[in-house]
Amino acid sequence: MTRRIHILPDRVANQIAAGEVVERPASVVKELVENALDAASQRIEVSLRGGGKTEIRVADDGSGMEREDALLALDRHATSKIREAEDLHRVSSFGFRGEALPSIAAVSRFELETAPAAGGVGTRIRVRSGRVGSVDDAARRPGTTVTVRALFGDLPARAKFLRSASGETRACSEAVLLLALANLPVAFRLESNGRVLLDLPSAGSLRARVADLWGEESAAELLEVDRSTGEIRVGGLIQRPEAAGRGTSRRYLFVNGRPFRSAALHRMVDEAYRTTVPGQVRPAFLLYLSVEPREVDVNVHPAKAEVRFRDRPAVEAALRSAVRVGLGGLESAAPAKPEGAGTAGVAAPARPAAASAVRERGPGGDAGAADASHRSHDRPSPSQLALFVPGGARTGEDRSAAGEEAPGAPAVRRRPLLWQLHDRYILASVRDGLLLIDQHSAHERVLFEEIMRRFEKGRGASQRLLFPVTLRLGPDEYAAVEELAGLLRQTGFEIEPFGDRTVIIHAGPQPHPGFDAEGCFRAMIDELTHGSPLVDSARNQHERIAKSLACKGAIKAGQPLTFDEMAELVDRLFATELPGHDVHGRPTILRLTLEELERRFGRT
Amino acid sequence: MRLSITREKLQEGLGAVAATIPNKTTLPVLSNILLRAQGARLEMSGTDLDISVSVGVDAEVEQAGAITVPARKISDIARELESAPVHLVADGDQIELSCGKSRFKLFGLPEGEFPSFPEVDFSESWKVTAGTLQELIGHTAFAASTEESRPILNGVLWQLRSDHCTMVATNGHRLARMTFPLEEVDAPEADLIVPPKALQQVERLFEADEEVEVARSENHLAFRSATRVVYTRLIEGPYPNYEQVIPSDNDKQAVGSTGALEKAIRRMAVVASDQTHRVRLSFSEGTLGFRVQTPDLGEAEDEVSVDYQGETLEIGFNANYLLEVLRYMPDEDVRIEFRAPERAATFRPAGGEPDYLCLVMPLRLLD
Ligand SMILES: Nc1ncnc2c1ncn2[C@@H]1O[C@H](COP(=O)(O)OP(=O)(O)OP(=O)(O)O)[C@@H](O)[C@H]1O
Ligand SMILES: [Mg+2]
Repeated sequence: MTRRIHILPDRVANQIAAGEVVERPASVVKELVENALDAASQRIEVSLRGGGKTEIRVADDGSGMEREDALLALDRHATSKIREAEDLHRVSSFGFRGEALPSIAAVSRFELETAPAAGGVGTRIRVRSGRVGSVDDAARRPGTTVTVRALFGDLPARAKFLRSASGETRACSEAVLLLALANLPVAFRLESNGRVLLDLPSAGSLRARVADLWGEESAAELLEVDRSTGEIRVGGLIQRPEAAGRGTSRRYLFVNGRPFRSAALHRMVDEAYRTTVPGQVRPAFLLYLSVEPREVDVNVHPAKAEVRFRDRPAVEAALRSAVRVGLGGLESAAPAKPEGAGTAGVAAPARPAAASAVRERGPGGDAGAADASHRSHDRPSPSQLALFVPGGARTGEDRSAAGEEAPGAPAVRRRPLLWQLHDRYILASVRDGLLLIDQHSAHERVLFEEIMRRFEKGRGASQRLLFPVTLRLGPDEYAAVEELAGLLRQTGFEIEPFGDRTVIIHAGPQPHPGFDAEGCFRAMIDELTHGSPLVDSARNQHERIAKSLACKGAIKAGQPLTFDEMAELVDRLFATELPGHDVHGRPTILRLTLEELERRFGRT
Repeated sequence: MRLSITREKLQEGLGAVAATIPNKTTLPVLSNILLRAQGARLEMSGTDLDISVSVGVDAEVEQAGAITVPARKISDIARELESAPVHLVADGDQIELSCGKSRFKLFGLPEGEFPSFPEVDFSESWKVTAGTLQELIGHTAFAASTEESRPILNGVLWQLRSDHCTMVATNGHRLARMTFPLEEVDAPEADLIVPPKALQQVERLFEADEEVEVARSENHLAFRSATRVVYTRLIEGPYPNYEQVIPSDNDKQAVGSTGALEKAIRRMAVVASDQTHRVRLSFSEGTLGFRVQTPDLGEAEDEVSVDYQGETLEIGFNANYLLEVLRYMPDEDVRIEFRAPERAATFRPAGGEPDYLCLVMPLRLLD
């Protein structure tokens, strides 16, 4: 009787493993480029023919291999990168399984040419469907070139699942791109059928690599992020909200230099962008997490495309806070430039990754206020009888004195220069240029955060009205008011349902002296009852109400402001978490830097 | 038009009118002052279409006539001139001004382009001394609303009765009311709603002891003395029934020094929230305590002794409203009357004179 169970020959086992590791040309490209990177290459060249189905060639200038090692490399679980299971926890190379080369060789016509960097003879090994065909001497420079032809040529069942040549080329290009973003000092080149798709010199910074990949304009849209929360550091570039939503959004995550996918973390980034961009917009980001190696398991996915964090909530929180802080900086404000005006060739010079975004805050120009929680206190304090003050001083001289500094009065000298343009915009002169602030949008941001805080802390004040306002509402509106009465009360509206669709407003919030409680209440109830893009993008009832009330209650465009009122609004704006962004996903601030002015006036 | 006038008289007239000239206007003639020579007077007028002011000064008129000239330029020239007689000669749209050896030629606009003043019949009029008007206006106009959704509250209500008149203004959160007796009324009772800007002109233009005649037309009100006239558009009523909301059942009262209270609240305002300006008043036997707590900023406390006997009670207010009320209070001591934390409090001169009342609605804390 013949035995039914037997050990598979290596060749067959490799073919099965290949099913996991090698799905398509892009996975081959990825594995081979990773090997080249692990071999400390400076320059990696990839060329494709027929979308990689006909031929993939990856050439590097890395360490190369001695002949013996090269032959061993083709065996399963032959790896130079780890020795024991313990090593898996601190693996910093891309490869560690010793699976990629045998798997690829099992399903293609495979050729490996290598010469050790230390010198010595080169080797050429040819493998056909997993069987070593020939081993020859090869005269070549140090490094390794792997050529993979006729991928899945003997396996029509697998070949059938491949896409068109152009589809596979795109996927290969994406694989190279990911690794190029993870390895800035390495130069990359990708060719397809003789056409150059990518040609990336060694990059000194992420911004430089982005500029090489997608152009200076794209690079200029990104702002730097760098923040450590506990042991987790998050750095990289995120898209300025005002630029988001145009064109493709590029969203990349890396952990300890390794690209990975995570829908949950993408959602967390979107979450951090809330209110700074319209609801459906998915901003671009390239975020690099650095965590203790033992905090992340990279061995959970056959293609290593996913990872598992030991403490995912901590990673999510770190990511969110890094993005938030980045968005809270002045650099996050929209630049003042004509629509569509190119910045080609003049993108902001790449800055050292540190927190320049966090530092340049506020018209007070105080540096070093990197910790968001301390921000509001080291800004010029609003003059006390201030502003947005019912009946506060609002004299003619007040306005004409805008920006005049009393000589020798330090308290005054710290005031920013402020100017109101057409009763709609506030121009603020700051250390590195000019801010144009939309007064309504700015006040929206201020109110939104204040109202959200009221909901959280459950406190706030409510101004009683001398003449209570009686309103008759539509049936659906009346129902909405009854349902929301408790929350509305927390915002300051004291409402008494009076039956017959009538409500009486006895008290209201007072966001500014020109506040029209009745008009605001009506508009807000209409919006909350019938919906609008603004409130429909809210996450919960608190946010719905806060957005609506902020929008309806904010000072309007066309409202003249005194100097003190402007100063207070600007102060309060910069005390918010996201001063550059209103609640509709529009900018509150346009920023015109001296640098940009100098460039525009042809001074550089 | 041909006349001579002292530099001082010219400057006096121009200065009085200049405040009505709008800074920005789409109607060019509104940036001009109308000069009209008649009898022994030069009359100067300016308008922003809502409010018009006309001032007459003595002049030697050789030839009557009128012209409009750029207000800013002629005022600046008058200011720079030497103290000597000024000769003005208008010819067509031009005016020549000479004084000593200085000569100016300015291009004006014909008199016909200047808006005509509203027609107000003074045969039925109220007579008030300017001093009384200044008191009334000075103590109430500040309380008018600046918010545009209820235009009526942007005005000051002036109630003229057979033997007294009352001015009231409110923004719906606080209110100020003052009453003065009147003699010599030969016009019917009226409720007029007057823009505060016009009242400020009235307050400024007339001398305290001048007698001012006041008369109205359908939509306008005019104030007139021997040499000056102010016209203003009236705001259409009716004014809300404010009397009904002034509490008559406030059963607790405290009397304290106006100045001491104002100073204490000023100190509190430093730490009060920028947004709500809330200060908490607590009345107890003999003392009025103040307290502010502002999240993220800090807190402050103060105390002032007052004459108070009732039970302990706490009320929150917007510090700015309190400061205004105390600033305008025409007495060294103020009497505060109140009932409950959600009810209006009133402030009056403790001496009972003059007849002045301020009301402030509380600011409630939500917990
Ligand atoms: N381009 C190269 N330059 C130098 N050595 C290489 C190169 N490619 C492969 N090697 C050697 O061959 C070995 C096997 O490579 P292979 O990709 O099969 O496994 P691995 O990289 O160790 O692990 P993984 O299967 O996770 O990729 C490597 O460990 C390395 O020593
Ligand atoms: Mg490998």
